Amino acid sequence: MSLRDWPIKQKLTAMLLLISGLVLLLTSAAFVTYEIVTVRQGTLKDLATLARVIAANSTASLAFANEADAREILSALRAEPHVVAAALYDGNGRQFSRYPADLPREALPATPDRDGYRFEGGYVIVFEPVAEAGNPRLGTLYLQSDMKAVSRTVRLSAAIAGGVMLVALVAAGLLATMLQGRISQPILALADTAAAVSARQDYAARAPKFGADELGALTDAFNQMLDRIAEQRRAVSESREQLQHYAGELEQRVAERTRELEERNEALRHNAAELLAANAELDAFAYSVSHDLRAPLRSIDGFSQVLLEDYAARLDDAGRDSLHRVRAASQRMGMLIDDLLKLARVTRAELHAGIVDLSAMAQDVATELQRSAPERRVEFVIAPGITARGDVRLLRVVLDNLLGNSWKYTAKQPRPRIEFSGHAENGEPVYAVRDNGAGFDMKYVDKLFGVFQRLHAAVDFEGTGVGLATVRRIITRHGGRVWAVGAVDQGATFYFTL
Amino acid sequence: MAFLRRILAAAPLLLWAVGGGGGAGLAAQTGHASEYRVKAVFLFNFAQFVDWPADAFPDSTAPFVIGVLGSDPFGELLDETVRGEELRGRPFQVRRYQTVDEIKACHILFIHQPAGDRVGEILSRLRDRPILTVSDDADFADQGGMVRFVNDRNRIRLEINPGAAQAANLTISSKLLRVAEIATPRGRGR
Repeated sequence: MSLRDWPIKQKLTAMLLLISGLVLLLTSAAFVTYEIVTVRQGTLKDLATLARVIAANSTASLAFANEADAREILSALRAEPHVVAAALYDGNGRQFSRYPADLPREALPATPDRDGYRFEGGYVIVFEPVAEAGNPRLGTLYLQSDMKAVSRTVRLSAAIAGGVMLVALVAAGLLATMLQGRISQPILALADTAAAVSARQDYAARAPKFGADELGALTDAFNQMLDRIAEQRRAVSESREQLQHYAGELEQRVAERTRELEERNEALRHNAAELLAANAELDAFAYSVSHDLRAPLRSIDGFSQVLLEDYAARLDDAGRDSLHRVRAASQRMGMLIDDLLKLARVTRAELHAGIVDLSAMAQDVATELQRSAPERRVEFVIAPGITARGDVRLLRVVLDNLLGNSWKYTAKQPRPRIEFSGHAENGEPVYAVRDNGAGFDMKYVDKLFGVFQRLHAAVDFEGTGVGLATVRRIITRHGGRVWAVGAVDQGATFYFTL
Repeated sequence: MAFLRRILAAAPLLLWAVGGGGGAGLAAQTGHASEYRVKAVFLFNFAQFVDWPADAFPDSTAPFVIGVLGSDPFGELLDETVRGEELRGRPFQVRRYQTVDEIKACHILFIHQPAGDRVGEILSRLRDRPILTVSDDADFADQGGMVRFVNDRNRIRLEINPGAAQAANLTISSKLLRVAEIATPRGRGR
């Protein structure tokens, strides 16, 4: 287990032990070093003192060459077991006396070295001048001392330091084990509480507080957080219940509405099917009727003509007039039948969509209208560049009818004017044909686009009542709408979209 | 006579110096030279271990005088020994006397085979003067002498009569006393 994964208790204990161990180690090292230095200096000082005393005592021995006395003085070194060898040299540098007396001459330096002390091979050696105070030098004293005092002190102080360290470390370990709880206990309690909360979702759990320090503040903050969470959970669950309630209601309503709609849809579909069937029947009926009516009508007209041409002399004026009326009526009926057939064809024809230049088409229609009655003066205002997507043939029928209507109902207007324009309404292009002709009463606007519905008498304005119905069919088949706005003698405007 | 003695005394040294100390026939003479070389050094060293009263010197730079009364056995040895030496700012001087009357300022006096006067008389005439008297004479202490050189199997030992020194107002270092034998004078003298 790596160090960062250690439990906090062990971490704290280890930290405290490490710190106290380091401090102890450094202190002990300082102590041992101090002891060594002190003992070493002490040894040197003792040896220097000893050397000075022996040297001072040896002056007379050297001055008067009393070897026995010198030996006696040196033999006093027995009291100092660390001094392993000593020698006196006379003023000429010759060995004069040795200690221990049985030491071979060669074991000692043959001649004195320079004065002072030095460490050599585990020994301290001293060369001390021998002279009466302020007097010429008489000779040199040599002392050799072992370092056992130093090494013994090192061992002793190391042992003491080791012992103290051991005891102190044990004490530090016990204290650390005892004291780490002050810090680890609140943290562990917090951790336990947090674990309990996340494991059991028990937001009522609270971490115990041990003191008013930062850990206490942390515990408080944690507990407050738990309060908030519990509150929010309560609020959330309440709103969720409400939401579920609403959702249930909504679902119920949607289901109801859906059911209603389905029912209505079903009814509508049924109606539509019925209507389609009825329309188809009606179309078929209208077509066949129109077609079948043509032949007898042609006979009526043809035989009426024969009567007028071959038997005119035998008829009086009233008879001829009646025959003329028969002919006019049958010709009008033929026109009606043609229109009805046209309407039926529009209904059946297939759509071929493409881009259509409505402005050019309107201009075309206007030119044709003008040619059919050159004596009329009508002002056409056609906006340029209006295009639309649709079937060019059917749209031509639409413009033929709308512009033709306007042409027709402006016949009694002294200054007739017909406009074709386009504008956008809610992003959808709307096309308009406006005139200043007879107009219509808005209360009959619903009847405007019905078949055979006419708002004006045929005497005033000729027409079959099929044109606007055809227009509506075509616009409807293009997926568009058509409507009209107008007033009597105020002109009319027909709008359509595609 | 004295001159001849000095020549004779110097001869062994010269011989030793010329002959390099070799030769069996010269052994005795060589022994004599080395004996007096040691004695010269001892005389010089006494200055370090004896304190003289202040009135022993006329002034603070007055020389330290080592005198030889009688025939001089040292030759140049004593002069060589003290040459260039100083003690507490005082240079050393070697003086040679034939009679006691010649002795004026003197601090260490080696008495050796004096002409005419007997040693006892010389000492009594020098009594109470701060002069350290030294001799080879066997009964030197008995006669009131202070220090005696004793030849002992090629070694020279010291025999000191502290009473005499004390009477002459001289203080002998205990260290010197330790390396010496204490002589107790018998009979006359102190």
